[in-house]
Amino acid sequence: MFKLNEIRELIRLLDETSISEFNYELDGAKLLIKKDAVGATVVTPQVIHAAPAPVAAPVAAPALVAAPAPTAAPVVEAPAAAAPVAKVEDKNLHKIVSPMVGTFYKAPAPDVDAYVKAGARVDEKSIVCIVEAMKLMNEIEADVKGEIVEVLVENGQLVEYGQPLFLVKLD
Amino acid sequence: MNETILHMLRDAPGGFVSGEAMCQACGVSRTSIWKHIKDMQDAGYNIEAVRNKGYRLVDAPDLVTAAEIREGLSTTLLGQSIVYRETIDSTNSLAQQLALGGAPEGTLVIADEQTSGRGRRGRQWFSPPHSGIWMSLILRPELPLAHAAQITLVAAVALNQALSRATGVQAGIKWPNDILFNGKKCCGILTEMHAEFDQIHHLVVGIGINVNVAQDEFPAELEGIATSLQAIRGERIPRAQVVRTVLEEFEPLYRQYVLNGGFGTLRDAWKANNITLGRHIVAHTARGDIEGLALDIDEFGVLLLEKADGEREKIYSADITVINQTIS
Repeated sequence: MFKLNEIRELIRLLDETSISEFNYELDGAKLLIKKDAVGATVVTPQVIHAAPAPVAAPVAAPALVAAPAPTAAPVVEAPAAAAPVAKVEDKNLHKIVSPMVGTFYKAPAPDVDAYVKAGARVDEKSIVCIVEAMKLMNEIEADVKGEIVEVLVENGQLVEYGQPLFLVKLD
Repeated sequence: MNETILHMLRDAPGGFVSGEAMCQACGVSRTSIWKHIKDMQDAGYNIEAVRNKGYRLVDAPDLVTAAEIREGLSTTLLGQSIVYRETIDSTNSLAQQLALGGAPEGTLVIADEQTSGRGRRGRQWFSPPHSGIWMSLILRPELPLAHAAQITLVAAVALNQALSRATGVQAGIKWPNDILFNGKKCCGILTEMHAEFDQIHHLVVGIGINVNVAQDEFPAELEGIATSLQAIRGERIPRAQVVRTVLEEFEPLYRQYVLNGGFGTLRDAWKANNITLGRHIVAHTARGDIEGLALDIDEFGVLLLEKADGEREKIYSADITVINQTIS
């Protein structure tokens, strides 16, 4: 059965990604998390085998406080096509996102050149920026190969977990 | 082998250890022992050789070699593997390389001198030879990335406790992790993380301790800002013992941090060791200065600042200046 903190963690993770729907089955319990058009997360706990797994709904329910548009009662799973994805995105544009909350730095020091600018070529191991929290420096690698199209945040800006930092046109 | 010889010399009740006993312990010839003794003498060990008695350690230099640190070290994780360099650009840089190459958790990288010791945001860390502890620890905690940054506060608690235990210096932590005595910095911590999305690959916790740096030895720009344990205590302090104490204080706190899955109760330990909360401060951030009262740290170690207009702000990264030493 799903634990409350596991569901909460899942919501937190998914909320910050571009994934619009997440489906997971475990021991007869099924969890469906999907985002609505404005990006809010909707959690739909479901019981497939109603009798042996009655705990699914009550356990999942508290997690709904995080969702602005909760659907508390178990419902029949909607077909995947019903989950709308609002934005039309260029499939080749990859987002490099921040893995943690912290301060975004475009360069290793205030008086030196930025790691990358728009137009720069990067590969998987290229360092693109630093995110700092409490003197923990996290050098972010591109993890993809391509060209930086846009830097989405300002130097010194506080960035959230999962916040897009760069757009990369993939090779 | 030098470690075995050193250990025997230190342990000898009458002072002398026969060359024969050393041969047996090390499984090498008398000539080989003689050569090692010579190496140690060259490194600064004062070893007396007396015919028919053997060797006696008269005086040992203040070194931070693996052999010196291991002597009496009681940890089981931190410092089990030690990489020592007489001089190096930065212990953090070498530790990063070693960590990427698979060095085990707890590996200690330490140098007598750093030529490009790093501070926050590209600043230099003054790391002259023979007088400081310039070290980096490789850690691989299995923790959510959101909790990774708290290691820097946990390390500060360990460091502050270690200073107290090893040298009697009662310093305090300035948020997030500088160690200050009378408003001057004697230790700094700079942590670098290598992560793949949502997973910590490794952390390198760099620790700099000004041990026997003379007050007038600091460069002009650090005047009034930096101090050393020697300057505080008025005497030279053997470095290896301080290193051991840091490792011994850090290990149980680190284990607790991993076990807790984060800060947990260590937040209280940080607060007990801190000198920032309750004071009026200026947080120098990359986007300007923010002035206010340091209220608290949250469960992630983030500093909560209350500005004059009552508005509260969370500080994730900043250099802190205390502008009012009185506790309100």
